[in-house]
Amino acid sequence: MPKSQIIEPAKERKAGSIPFAEIPLNQYKQDIAKEKEAYGAEALVGMYEDMLLIRVFENMLQSIKTQGSYEGIEYDHKGPAHLSIGQEASSVGQAFLLGIDDHILGSHRSHGEILAKGMSAIRKLDDKSLIEIMENFLGGDCYRVVEKEGSDSVKDLARNFLLYGALAEIFGRENGFNRGLGGSMHAFFPPFGILPNNAIVGGSADIAMGAALFKKVNRKDGIVISNVGDASMGCGPTWEAMNFASMRQFHELWENGMKGGLPIIFNFMNNFYGMGGQTAGETMAFDYLARVGAGVNPQSMHAERVDGYNPLAVVDAIKRKKALIENGDGPVLLETITYRYSGHSPSDASSYRLKEEVEAWQAVDPLNAYSKELIEAGMLTEDGIEKTQANITKAMIQACRLASDLEISPRLASEKIGNLMFSKRKVENYDTSREPELTLAPSDNPRVQALAKKSRAGIIDGKPVSKNKVYQYRDAIFEAAFHRFQNDSTLVAYGEENRDWGGAFACYRGLTESLPYHRLFNSPISEAAIVGSAVGYALEGGRALVELMYCDFMGRAGDEIFNQLAKWQSMSACILEMPVVLRVSVGSKYGAQHSQDWSAIVNHIPGLQVVFPCTPYDAKGMLNTALAGSDPVIFFESQRLYDIGELFEKEVPAEYYEIPFGLPAKRRTGKDLTLITVGATMYRALEAADILEQKYGITCDVFDCRSINPLDYDPLIESVRKTGKVLLSSDACARGSVMQDIASNISQLAFDDLDSPPVVVGSRNWITPCAEVEEDYFPQPSWMIDAIHERIMPLPGHQLLSNPTTGELIHRNREGV
Amino acid sequence: MKYDFAVIGAGPAGYVAAKKAATAGLKVVMVEKKKLGGVCLNEGCVPSKTLLQAAKTYHHAKHGSIFGVEAGSLSFNFGKAHAHKNSVMDRMREGIVGLMKKNKVEVIEGEATLIKGGFSVNGESHEAENILLCTGSSPAIPPIPGIEADHIVDSTGILDNEKLPEKLVIVGGGVIGCEFACVYGSVGVPVVVLEAMPEICPNLDSEIAAILRKELEKKGVTFLLGAKVESFEGNSVRYHLDGESKETEADLVLVATGRRPNVSGLGLEDIGLDFDPRGGVRVDEKGATNLPGVWAAGDVTGQAWLAHAASRMAEVVVHNITGQKDQMRHDTMPAVVYTSPEVAVVGLTKEEAIERGFKVKTGKIPMAINARYIAENPGETGMCKVVLDADTNRLLGVHMVGGACSEMIFGAVTMLETELREEEIEEIVFPHPTTSEIMKDVFMAVR
Repeated sequence: MPKSQIIEPAKERKAGSIPFAEIPLNQYKQDIAKEKEAYGAEALVGMYEDMLLIRVFENMLQSIKTQGSYEGIEYDHKGPAHLSIGQEASSVGQAFLLGIDDHILGSHRSHGEILAKGMSAIRKLDDKSLIEIMENFLGGDCYRVVEKEGSDSVKDLARNFLLYGALAEIFGRENGFNRGLGGSMHAFFPPFGILPNNAIVGGSADIAMGAALFKKVNRKDGIVISNVGDASMGCGPTWEAMNFASMRQFHELWENGMKGGLPIIFNFMNNFYGMGGQTAGETMAFDYLARVGAGVNPQSMHAERVDGYNPLAVVDAIKRKKALIENGDGPVLLETITYRYSGHSPSDASSYRLKEEVEAWQAVDPLNAYSKELIEAGMLTEDGIEKTQANITKAMIQACRLASDLEISPRLASEKIGNLMFSKRKVENYDTSREPELTLAPSDNPRVQALAKKSRAGIIDGKPVSKNKVYQYRDAIFEAAFHRFQNDSTLVAYGEENRDWGGAFACYRGLTESLPYHRLFNSPISEAAIVGSAVGYALEGGRALVELMYCDFMGRAGDEIFNQLAKWQSMSACILEMPVVLRVSVGSKYGAQHSQDWSAIVNHIPGLQVVFPCTPYDAKGMLNTALAGSDPVIFFESQRLYDIGELFEKEVPAEYYEIPFGLPAKRRTGKDLTLITVGATMYRALEAADILEQKYGITCDVFDCRSINPLDYDPLIESVRKTGKVLLSSDACARGSVMQDIASNISQLAFDDLDSPPVVVGSRNWITPCAEVEEDYFPQPSWMIDAIHERIMPLPGHQLLSNPTTGELIHRNREGV
Repeated sequence: MKYDFAVIGAGPAGYVAAKKAATAGLKVVMVEKKKLGGVCLNEGCVPSKTLLQAAKTYHHAKHGSIFGVEAGSLSFNFGKAHAHKNSVMDRMREGIVGLMKKNKVEVIEGEATLIKGGFSVNGESHEAENILLCTGSSPAIPPIPGIEADHIVDSTGILDNEKLPEKLVIVGGGVIGCEFACVYGSVGVPVVVLEAMPEICPNLDSEIAAILRKELEKKGVTFLLGAKVESFEGNSVRYHLDGESKETEADLVLVATGRRPNVSGLGLEDIGLDFDPRGGVRVDEKGATNLPGVWAAGDVTGQAWLAHAASRMAEVVVHNITGQKDQMRHDTMPAVVYTSPEVAVVGLTKEEAIERGFKVKTGKIPMAINARYIAENPGETGMCKVVLDADTNRLLGVHMVGGACSEMIFGAVTMLETELREEEIEEIVFPHPTTSEIMKDVFMAVR
């Protein structure tokens, strides 16, 4: 909402038509002599060698998958192998000019890209750098194996290292590039600029965009290439990423020195099929994929179709696009056409395409065609090809032998996976080389000044401080975020209303004044791209604080939260860190799509930390902790709480402090019953506790599970041992909620001490009704007391208002409501 | 009006609960839309047993020659038997009226509807802290073409039939079907029983059921097993058997294909009451439904279909309401078929025990080894079977056919309730000569 730009009716209502920038198709004109002059014969032949290396590698895997052996080495590979036989020229041509600062992210079919980019890096790096990289990567575990085998040169050694590291990863071995935790579809090697490959179609698009955002915001060299398939154009997040990367604000609003689109090429390796569907002819609207660029920005994203069967055409395209991006004119959409001879995977019988079609592409096989050109140009001989073939086959046999041998290449002990789910580091600043950029000193910040006049205590002399005088929950969010902005140079925050609006529910009001656009900006309403880009930003080494407003909107970012944010630390054996805090707010009064507490959904996904503070003191302390860590945190807030003051601690300290995740907060101490809550329900549980004490003389321990995962059960169990009775409540729908999980664990941990089963009081398993009848939906104090009376301990004279019977529990479950 | 306890239905669950709750000091109301006593007294146990006794008496008289009793010319006056039946019913109903009056249970005649926090009847709403729903059951009538004809009756209708038919066809060889087959067969009416399953009384131990079937066959009852009735047309009953469509004639047809809980017209759906998949009101082991303060007992729950089970369920409910811990144990619920011979069982059959994971051992002996039995039941086949847990020797089930074994099954119930083991049962002394000795002797055959 930049006030600097006025939307003028006269302009917007004017008649006219839109011109589109033209989109070239396969315009490259081959001139091998000229290319030889530009790059030298060795480099051009090197490209052929790399193509051959990929072909031999994929054929080796094909043989392993279909025959169970390769060159006499028997091996049963149970996992996937999505082969790229036929696509070699596209990946080698792309990698040719890229440096290690240029980063690629790919798809499930990326063996070729890994090898091409790896070989490109090996060819460019000096021996000392190569040795250093190999020795340091994963403590040299991978390097030691190939080093023992010996080699003629460091470059050969590095090639063998690349082959072995990739293959050991595909075979799921501890010496693999990612300790065998990524496997075929995810393998990557950051030192050579190879970032994660993704088993979710289109999954790399928004992550790569986030990586490009990192490069731009932190002024890093290099570009990012998102290598996804043609079918990815059917995925919403891909579109979101292209739009996000092309936002007008990069040109219009970001400060000088920061202007220009994101340094990214959205490269679509178009092999014309997505699973069993033919893209251009069957499942997509486009005829030429590159056409889509015209729908994104006035430059048509500089889109063009490149012949991926000619490595030199791809080199030419990358050269031009890279220059364009470095000039600030990105992003770019590239359609690199190619063709896979093998099926989607070894189980694919290719029943959806004609044999003749495959043969037609084989007739123009890129290796044959390119080698013929090189021979004709006098750069390569048949003899030379044979020698190269023999040399590569020897290296491949070595890699296969080493990677398949369980003694040389053991598997990671499964128990160690647990230690790799979280990186658990505390990082004050992810880039200490530079000062965090601010546009206004904190002391001059209007909100900082306003907060100085507020009461940090919520209760003074036993009376609550009025709303307009008290330091509120939203102020705690602001303070924690602002603190980290002042201390971590890489921290960025974005969401749908983060800047001029002041953040949802006024949490960020004041940040705009102190932060440049490139650290705090409004994103498109693209939840997938918001989370996906944060993932990319983090795996490049930056910290991101992103926000989705309502918890319900997590549904729009399902893959990014469940498969990307949660997984990349462990799938990389923690080579990568994921310092992302995703803020979501549980709503109320706004009905079925704006009122859900989905803490259980993210709690279920391994690899995420989940917290739900419900006091200003905890909000500040826990956001501080989240923003100082290296792990992904889903940070739940509640819209019922933004204006509350601190009622439990004496006050919310102005100074920085952290609240470690894990320990529940004890809000009240009693002896007869344990009440456990998550989120804003805590305040209703306290009301219930008041009634229980006043009417029935029952006193309660009340716990606030502000940290859902991790969760330290010790205080809960200690309390249950004392009381023998426990009721759990939260605003989440009762079925499958976090409370059910905690109740189940308490049953297992304190079974002998329980006088009655743990009872869960959650919201009804309905849609959230309109605001006026929300009391029939969200747990009320009376529901809790009813449940205690019916299921835990009869309360003398108590009259039920709700129906907490076990029969009704069975009934509702059977009805599915 | 406001009550502590409202009972909807005055059958063996209702009046037992009402009396018990009133004795415990609760203010009790009982609502009944028809006659006090429920299915048991008016349409089931009591009238059928009266008729069975009439038939048995006739049968004994006719076949008394072995004891030297020669009756000469013998006739059966069905009308008189009915008169006796009616007098027994009247007397029992008066007993219930007196019992309610004595215990200050208010009885309202009318159709009750449940509402939130109480019930309404005859246009008036009443509050009740606890409500017991015990509205019983009705015969389940399968949708067979032609079933509406006048000569086709259900188990209620046949109780009013005072004329012996030329021939009786009974659809359904369950407990009810067998009892009426016995009544009519014993007095010389040709009876054909069409049973869809491969054996009669599918809930019984199959060996016991087969003995019962053969004994009834001796009384002139024909059983067609695996027969599925297709239609009724005039006096013809068309059925499917062994891959063929066949027919038989009958001037009286009894449809005895089970019962269904009486749950409609009570407003139960409106208050959100939960039902089990068979249509009964779902209750837990205490008789509690899913609604606070609403309880159910007896046939309306679709469990057991036995008057004594209904009474016990009602008792459990009242105990729970008045703060006494109690719960149903259906595994120790006895069941009886009041035919001649009688069948009396309690606990698990061998198959059920194996299904529940017990390592099982069993024992069985013919009743004919027992002196008293052969003296009193010449020519009849009887059997006693026991099922035990082989790991602990605990008694799991007792299954008997022969004579008047219903009178001794309570002994087995006691053994099961107290979880007696084989060696403890061996220490129990049974009087000699009684048929009950069979329950001691059977353990000698356990292996």
